[in-house]
Amino acid sequence: MEILKSWKVHAFALIIVVISEMIGTKKVALGPGVLLFLPMLYAMIIGAVISLPKLKALNLSEMNISAKCLGIATLMLIAKLGVLMGPNLVKLMQSGLALSFQEVGHFFGTIIFGLPVALALGLGREAIGATYSIDREPNIAIIAEKYGLDSPEGRGVMAVYICGTLFGAVWLGFVAGFIASLNILHPYALAMGAGVGSGSMMAASSGAIAAAVPSMAKDILMYAGASNLLTSVIGVYFALFVSLPVTVFLYEKLSPIIGVSQRRRIEGGKQA
Amino acid sequence: MKWSEAIAVLLVMGVISVIGNMLGYKEALGKDLTYGQFIAEAATGYGIMFTIALLGIACSKYLPGKLPMVFWVSVLATLSTVPQVSPWAKEIGYYTGKVDFLALATPILAFAGLSFGKDIEKFKTMSWRIVVVALTVYTGTFICAAVVAQFLLKYEGII
Repeated sequence: MEILKSWKVHAFALIIVVISEMIGTKKVALGPGVLLFLPMLYAMIIGAVISLPKLKALNLSEMNISAKCLGIATLMLIAKLGVLMGPNLVKLMQSGLALSFQEVGHFFGTIIFGLPVALALGLGREAIGATYSIDREPNIAIIAEKYGLDSPEGRGVMAVYICGTLFGAVWLGFVAGFIASLNILHPYALAMGAGVGSGSMMAASSGAIAAAVPSMAKDILMYAGASNLLTSVIGVYFALFVSLPVTVFLYEKLSPIIGVSQRRRIEGGKQA
Repeated sequence: MKWSEAIAVLLVMGVISVIGNMLGYKEALGKDLTYGQFIAEAATGYGIMFTIALLGIACSKYLPGKLPMVFWVSVLATLSTVPQVSPWAKEIGYYTGKVDFLALATPILAFAGLSFGKDIEKFKTMSWRIVVVALTVYTGTFICAAVVAQFLLKYEGII
């Protein structure tokens, strides 16, 4: 029962939650939209500060336990989204077409946006691992098996995985809340977008949309839950058989066109 | 994942979420309840979801097909509140409704924050370029799916 012995992690989590919930939600206007500061955002930031190695408040094994707790606790979010879906199952099925095809958006959104940016910034084959998916655990496993984690592709997938762990939830929380406040896309559509296939990112983005449009909160969480379920269940197969081959193909087509001089400059810099 | 670990973590998580739920969401979810009643109802709601989560873990461990836990927990939770399937749909809906989604999200992100330090050394060795790429990747999957959904929800006449 290593997990319970690390009482420090749980005590910190409790204190962090109490502080965060006492502060409550704050809204800050930014240009045409609103940035939402939700308790979960403070929770993540306070937690991050506490875990800074310099402070020596937590040791490495305690941090690893915290990551493990994160994985298990996410099941409760999934359960909560499930009980929200039940009463509206019929409504959910009526949007079957939208739900099924927005998945395609999830799977290719990473490539369409990510690959050109990665190439333009001068990344080599790292770009493949980095942009073929949102790079959570199952996606790492796929790259590890196919290329090995020491390969450029492996470095790309690991780098985006680390960034996602560190900033993914905070970033998507802001982006989703902000776009929701702009009123361009319908909250239901945004909710489906929020089901990116990572528990913490889905929680942050769907929570932010629901907080931005509280009158539709229940439906928003329902659609986000359904979308996230689809992404997590078919995600591995889709990433393996569709996204990865497509990314490799596009990389080979696009890399001679985009970012050639950038790449040369970076590689030249390394040699010098 | 060991049973003892899952149970222990979900119980600790329960205590933290029910406390957070009382502090942050009493106004929205339990205006007409006293604090005692609100905590009792939220704890009941959490207990129901806890049971569902454990059943989901069991299904994923022991049923053939090796479907992920996320899948089973989600299916069982959904069925538990479908009126035509579950005899307790209404009660489950009521009690679980007393636990706010965000009250569950806050402790989860607290755990995420508390594990931050373990990746910071690896992060320092990365170039700023990959950070830009990572944020683009996450934005891309969100926006692309939302845009596709927008068109199809319009087409289906739902929005």
